[in-house]
Amino acid sequence: METSSRPVVVKRMPERMNLKQARKFLKEVEPFLVSDRPQVVFDMSQVRHIDAAGVDVLLKCMHAAVKHDGDLKLAALSPQAAVVLELTRAGRLFEIYDTSTSAAKSFSCFLPNAIKHVYEQPPLGVLQMPVVQPSPDGDPHGGSKQAA
Amino acid sequence: MDIRAVVLIGGAASNDAPTTETINGVPIADLDVLGLPVVDRVLQRLEQFGISAISTVCDGRSDLPAFTPRSRFYASLAHVNATGDQFWQAAEDAFVKYAEQGADLVLALRIGPYVEVDYEALVQHHLDRHCAVTMAVDGEGASLELFALSASARTDAAALFKNRMQRMRRECAPFRVTGYVNRLRNAQDLRQLGADGLMARNTIRPEGTEIKPGVWVGQNARIHHKARVVAPAFIGAHAKIRASALITRGSIIEHHSEVDCGTVVENSSVLPFTRVGAGLDVMHSVVGFRRLAHLWQNVEVEIADEKFVGMVPLTAVSRLAGSTAALFAFLPMQIFRGIFAPSQRKCATKIPESLEQASAVLESPVLEVPASGAESSEFPSNLAVARRYGDQ
Repeated sequence: METSSRPVVVKRMPERMNLKQARKFLKEVEPFLVSDRPQVVFDMSQVRHIDAAGVDVLLKCMHAAVKHDGDLKLAALSPQAAVVLELTRAGRLFEIYDTSTSAAKSFSCFLPNAIKHVYEQPPLGVLQMPVVQPSPDGDPHGGSKQAA
Repeated sequence: MDIRAVVLIGGAASNDAPTTETINGVPIADLDVLGLPVVDRVLQRLEQFGISAISTVCDGRSDLPAFTPRSRFYASLAHVNATGDQFWQAAEDAFVKYAEQGADLVLALRIGPYVEVDYEALVQHHLDRHCAVTMAVDGEGASLELFALSASARTDAAALFKNRMQRMRRECAPFRVTGYVNRLRNAQDLRQLGADGLMARNTIRPEGTEIKPGVWVGQNARIHHKARVVAPAFIGAHAKIRASALITRGSIIEHHSEVDCGTVVENSSVLPFTRVGAGLDVMHSVVGFRRLAHLWQNVEVEIADEKFVGMVPLTAVSRLAGSTAALFAFLPMQIFRGIFAPSQRKCATKIPESLEQASAVLESPVLEVPASGAESSEFPSNLAVARRYGDQ
């Protein structure tokens, strides 16, 4: 289900995301976020310190991306970043991936991850329908009879 | 029988000693659990068994905190501060001093681990086997760094302290402890100790009044009437829980801590003198001293932003000064806003003339009433529909 051929921008976040660094980072990524339907991934693997200003910048970027019909996803969260995002309840607003690659790939998939998961792995307790093979004589119900 | 005790605080023998048994450099033994430091809990227990002659030897690193006020137990004891090898030398000196004063038996224990041991049974075990040194072990046979030493066995005691309580000169049948044991190696163990106390899995009882089943509140704690505290929970003395905060799932708020508006504290411990900011989710964590130890992710994070986690001033004077300054900053700001800020009152919008005129469709009657006044035998279909939905 390839639906998009637009580029995905992966941006690595700096080690410290305090007020000064956050402003600098916002200036750097702003051109990508105001383009048409931006697809942006922030790699947070190197983030060691993130404060309220850093979280604020993430939310601003998210807002800007959504405003232009795009999306912003986070990838490779460091433990420090993960803790702060959970603490501030900001983590639930973003799609978070283990790696930048998987985050970038997720843009090319039409179905949201939650739905995709349902299709790929049916939950336990759901009976799977047997694959019906048509019989050689053309009767579509022949195969199912054999299977039964 | 004259039984005395030497309590060693700190002095972990492992290679990563500076990082274990501490949270942000503060020894766990000095931190509060349900309103009282771990050290005090141990000393209380010794006193319960009639051992009141106690000497404490503290690792130099442990002599930090003004924020862990020593209790009456701690203040009345002979106390020595030492570092490195001198720490163990000081422990040996304390033992020799007690032996010279005529003690029959000396208990040496390190905190370190928190152990609820039956000291009577330990002494009886020691006497029955005529040992020089008896080591207490847990169910798996690991040392709990708790020893009963005969006062006459000075050589054995010297060897024990020289080997940092890791090896004995002569092996003897160990005493197996069946009571509660917590190694107190890290923040997770500290949290577990508090949670076990709330769930009555050990003998630790919260220092406060049980205001409703499972909710203990210390002296002068302030809980806003819009805040919610779900049992089991502990709110320490002088703690403040502000509006719309939620304390739940066995959370512990230690003394002089503050939880700001709208914050959820779930399955967590907030250490003394810690301010948790507004609108946060503190879950499965130990928070304090500008750090957050997440128990599930097994990571300890420094949080420099005061909006998230900060420190409450340690002394009452500085707290009062801070509150006064905040009040004087708040009042002028409110007055300024009241005078100069734009009004939030919304004026009634003017309705366009086209909307004010009645629609021609509305003017025409929906139901045609017969002019003769004779009622139709058939009920109008549109009313029948309305009636059907009305019944539902």
